Amino acid sequence: MAPGEKIKAKIKKNLPVTGPQAPTIKELMRWYCLNTNTHGCRRIVVSRGRLRRLLWIGFTLTAVALILWQCALLVFSFYTVSVSIKVHFRKLDFPAVTICNINPYKYSAVRHLLADLEQETREALKSLYGFPESRKRRDAESWSSVLEGMQPRFSHRIPLLIFDQYEKGKARDFFTGRKRKVDGRIIHKASNVMHIESKQVVGFQLCSNDTSDCATYTFSSGINAIQEWYKLHYMNIMAQVPLEKKINMSYSAEELLVTCFFDGVSCDARNFTLFHHPMHGNCYTFNNRENETILSTSMGGSEYGLQVILYINEEEYNPFLVSSTGAKVIIHRQDEYPFVEDVGTEIETAMVTSIGMHLTESFKLSEPYSQCTEDGSDVPIRNIYNAAYSLQICLHSCFQTKMVEKCGCAQYGQPLPPEANYCNYQQHPNWMYCYYQLHRAFVQEELGCQSVCKEACSFKEWTLTTSLAQWPSVVSEKWLLPVLTWDQGRQINKKLNKTDLAKLLIFYKDLNQRSIMESPANSIEMLLSNFGGQLGLWMSCSVVCVIEIIEVFFIDFFSIIARRQWQKAKEWWARKQAPPCPEAPHSPQGQDNPALDIDNDLPTFNSALHLPPALGTQVPGTPPPKYNTLRLERAFSNQLTDTQMLDEL
Amino acid sequence: MEGTKLEEQDASPPQPTPGLTKGDKHEEQGLGPEPAAPQQPTAEEEALIEFHRSYRELFEFFCNNTTIHGAIRLVCSQHNRMKTAFWAVLWLCTFGMMYWQFGLLFGEYFSYPVSLNINLNSDKLVFPAVTICTLNPYRYPEIKEELEELDRITQQTLFDLYKYDSSPTLVAGSRGRRDLRSTLPHPLQRLRVPRQARSAASSVRDNNPQVDWKDWKIGFQLCNQNKSDCFYQTYSSGVDAVREWYRFHYINILSRLPETLPSLEEDTLGNFIFACRFNQVSCNQANYSHFHHPMYGNCYTFNDKNNSNLWMSSMPGVNNGLSLMLRTEQNDFIPLLSTVTGARVMVHGQDEPAFMDDGGFNLRPGVETSISMRKEALDRLGGDYGDCTKNGSDVPVKNLYPSKYTQQVCIHSCFQENMIKECGCAYIFYPRPQNVEYCDYRKHSSWGYCYYKLQADFSSDHLGCFTKCRKPCSVTSYQLSAGYSRWPSVTSQEWVFEMLSRQNNYTINNKRNGVAKVNIFFKELNYKTNSESPSVTMVTLLSNLGSQWSLWFGSSVLSVVEMAELIFDLLVITFLMLLRRFRSRYWSPGRGDRGAQEVASTQASSPPSHFCPHPTPLYLSQLGPAPSPALTAPPPAYATLGPCPSPGGSAGASSSAYPLGGP
Repeated sequence: MAPGEKIKAKIKKNLPVTGPQAPTIKELMRWYCLNTNTHGCRRIVVSRGRLRRLLWIGFTLTAVALILWQCALLVFSFYTVSVSIKVHFRKLDFPAVTICNINPYKYSAVRHLLADLEQETREALKSLYGFPESRKRRDAESWSSVLEGMQPRFSHRIPLLIFDQYEKGKARDFFTGRKRKVDGRIIHKASNVMHIESKQVVGFQLCSNDTSDCATYTFSSGINAIQEWYKLHYMNIMAQVPLEKKINMSYSAEELLVTCFFDGVSCDARNFTLFHHPMHGNCYTFNNRENETILSTSMGGSEYGLQVILYINEEEYNPFLVSSTGAKVIIHRQDEYPFVEDVGTEIETAMVTSIGMHLTESFKLSEPYSQCTEDGSDVPIRNIYNAAYSLQICLHSCFQTKMVEKCGCAQYGQPLPPEANYCNYQQHPNWMYCYYQLHRAFVQEELGCQSVCKEACSFKEWTLTTSLAQWPSVVSEKWLLPVLTWDQGRQINKKLNKTDLAKLLIFYKDLNQRSIMESPANSIEMLLSNFGGQLGLWMSCSVVCVIEIIEVFFIDFFSIIARRQWQKAKEWWARKQAPPCPEAPHSPQGQDNPALDIDNDLPTFNSALHLPPALGTQVPGTPPPKYNTLRLERAFSNQLTDTQMLDEL
Repeated sequence: MEGTKLEEQDASPPQPTPGLTKGDKHEEQGLGPEPAAPQQPTAEEEALIEFHRSYRELFEFFCNNTTIHGAIRLVCSQHNRMKTAFWAVLWLCTFGMMYWQFGLLFGEYFSYPVSLNINLNSDKLVFPAVTICTLNPYRYPEIKEELEELDRITQQTLFDLYKYDSSPTLVAGSRGRRDLRSTLPHPLQRLRVPRQARSAASSVRDNNPQVDWKDWKIGFQLCNQNKSDCFYQTYSSGVDAVREWYRFHYINILSRLPETLPSLEEDTLGNFIFACRFNQVSCNQANYSHFHHPMYGNCYTFNDKNNSNLWMSSMPGVNNGLSLMLRTEQNDFIPLLSTVTGARVMVHGQDEPAFMDDGGFNLRPGVETSISMRKEALDRLGGDYGDCTKNGSDVPVKNLYPSKYTQQVCIHSCFQENMIKECGCAYIFYPRPQNVEYCDYRKHSSWGYCYYKLQADFSSDHLGCFTKCRKPCSVTSYQLSAGYSRWPSVTSQEWVFEMLSRQNNYTINNKRNGVAKVNIFFKELNYKTNSESPSVTMVTLLSNLGSQWSLWFGSSVLSVVEMAELIFDLLVITFLMLLRRFRSRYWSPGRGDRGAQEVASTQASSPPSHFCPHPTPLYLSQLGPAPSPALTAPPPAYATLGPCPSPGGSAGASSSAYPLGGP
């Protein structure tokens, strides 16, 4: 023996890791089945009869399949939530209440800015519909005077048009985005008064820069057409007015709020903070003072809520911008942005409006349970509002950002993103066309805002119940109105009228707070115990069994295969080496134990067993008495420590 | 099966274990109990199913190989009675515990508990269908005559009862007062209610349980077919009485309308809706459909399922909803039917009929009403988990409406069904099935009597409609809340009215009372879905069962299969032994005796504590081909080789496995 071989043998002997002890895969299976704790396997080997065996194989495989299927179901249903609804009875924080007059600015204050526009609107009305000149208006003469020297500024830019009924069908195509040239007569140029037949519709045309690409907007009613047209121009004008000036033109808190009561205690304008909304002017938010504790109510019922009387000066209303009278109320969280147009509730004048609230809080679980966001930081839309994230804020921010991107300026109704200006047609002549196109795309979800924005995970909502009653009553108004007039004497110098006032009550119906909370329905412990249950139920298997399976079926399996391949490779090599001497015996069976000879591993008990029985040389004289001492086990592997048995033999 | 088994038996006895080869075999076993791969039994050698030769063998095999933990100790340990008893008690305890737990688990599962899930979704929403009615029933020209007559009679009745001479517009009717009065059945009468009789006489149906201090009531008499049973439908308030009476006659007149009515001219409709916008885009006739409701007048349904492309809301807010300007002028087609002015609006799902009675909002004239909606969806689990129906096909009430199943639809259909069954005619406000005509007292003289009786039965659920009509499994509802503001404002009303009058023939002198505006929009696109899910599913039930089972027994489903196999084997062996005994007794009794003896002897000879596996048959059968039939060495000798301390005493095993092999 060469010294190298010796060392090799030594290493082999001392190497702690040996290969699988079964020489073949079949042996390995058999060994595994006899020794594993997993039920079913043993029977495969032990049972007698082919059908029985087959049945047992079937049972075992079925059990394995069931385990896998059920565990897969468990895993897939892992991310489910369970909902708990709790009702607390406690002192509740009063929400922030934002109150806006529907009319944004006092018409008397803003009129100098809008004079041209108003005059042109009236002219449009006159020429379109043949209105008689309003005689009742105090300043009717001012119209005519202005009318003389004015060049129509607004209608030149975006003229109001009349479309025939027959063309209406074609014109309607424009809403679907198809371009079409519409023959419209620009009415303002026509000197004679035209009477609009009911078969004709009114609209206006918005064009892009080169006026080749136009969209026409028609309205089934002239009222809508005029209002929309007016609003467009109004936004243009107001976009150029600085904010301080706008605030001054709008209502002051003292003016709007005549009386105020909260939780049975009097309050006044100082409890309100100003919030300027582009379309609704000065709004005032109650219970939103910074650096102050949030007010709360100790009792439910209308006596303990907010009671205000609002002065809605109907005389100061803009006739074309708004057509209804009243105020808007928004109830929201302190850090939430009041979306006046979306969630506002209108209040009617000469009425008392009672709004009963019921608070519901919702908490959702975020990823991976649902697609909601905690604070909006993972939404790729920049929040342009100075408020906490909400879905609405995200949608509006997304639209505004797109607007700045596409049209170069910001829409008037929403806050300004940084480094952007509100649109006006001095700087951006075709922004309106751009805006309408963009809005259409937005509504049809072509901008992708709806897919990007996620809902917030937690929100509070106040369910409102509104009821109305006539106020003040005929008998009480006799004393009520003079007293209120005296109260307001500092701000207004006219006698209050019933229709100028509105009373508002906001209160908690009860102090029950409903919380809807989601919690994970499954925990990892539950999952594991369910796994355990499934493994136990079908096969009485455990994690150790699983490890066993991995060991046997993967490691040993592959090492056996590898060994086989190695053997084959070796054989092949040997054959290749020794082609010149064909008389050499091909298989060394006669002399050697093939397992020992070829195997690179230590000879195992099993491989040792491969000693060929020396065919035909069976000597029957061997006495059997040794058998009992052999202590044959049912499982051979127990004695697999080494090949001592061989030596014994 | 039987044949193979028998064959098996016949085949195996001539396989005695030859002594020499036995030695050979034992040598091989000494090397390892596993035969090498090439020596594995081949398919021909191993039978399809092999059975044990005896109970003992079977039990030993079972005890050796079973996986049931307690059972091994109980059945297989026979050393010590004390121990056996102890194990028996333990086994019973755990068995009881396990089945108690199983009972609890199954009880929980079969009570079908559900857990509530609340999902808050935010999505683009389909705008619901909106139905708006004028509250002004239209006077069809076909029945104009009869209605005028009814009006005249009403005038007369009012005059008779209340000395109220109504509007001079109907003076023309006064000419034929006396004779016309008699033409209508069920005249309105003033009734004196006797105090003591009130409680006793059931014939007077009292709609107002309060004591009427005047002792006078207004009502009309309804009788059955042969006038044997009559009652008075009475009301404490004259207004109610007159209206109800008028309505009753109006229904009768309506039923005489011909089947196919000429559709109302579009002109009458266009005047109701001044302006319509959705999502800042004006809408047109294609967006709504029209029908006439006999009580609520002209109704317009926007965005119903006939609409070519349904309206979607991708933004909340008042600007992104439906905005309508309506005419609320009182044309007063039928003044006694509609006592309210304004309009009625209702929000419902696209495929649901608009039940204006059941839900709806009245709109005030001169006011802009902003109705904000919030969607809410409810999904119930059907089947075993709750009593609901998926599409109404399993409800024993025929759906008379051309719409999907809702509970209201079902209840109305149910009432109509009963009405047709009891009264023989259909109530006019509900759809009628084929070849049934609407009720009219000219044809069905007693239908009023029948109807009011039925109505009472219906209300007290004697008809069973409320139990028959199950809840639908998925319901979408819209929660509405409204805000009001005056419209048009003082400053803008001038041009608004002017505009309306120019464009829509609006008469300005009505001022505010003639117009109303309504905005319907989604307050938020978040909507809540309340859904149910089974709180114990099959998977969790199985997991829990498995946990319990593992905890108490450590056995598995496969163990149960083992048990089943044992029982099957027992039965088969019993059968075979009986068969063999039978055969040996009748054909060759000597042999049978010997066989029986053999069984007995082997049972006696092998020690009871032999936990020997049975790989031996395999080896034996392997050795089958080795031809050594001459060998007569008796196998029992092997058992005596040692006390078989090792379970691998293959000799013992072989002896017990082949009790019949000796001869």
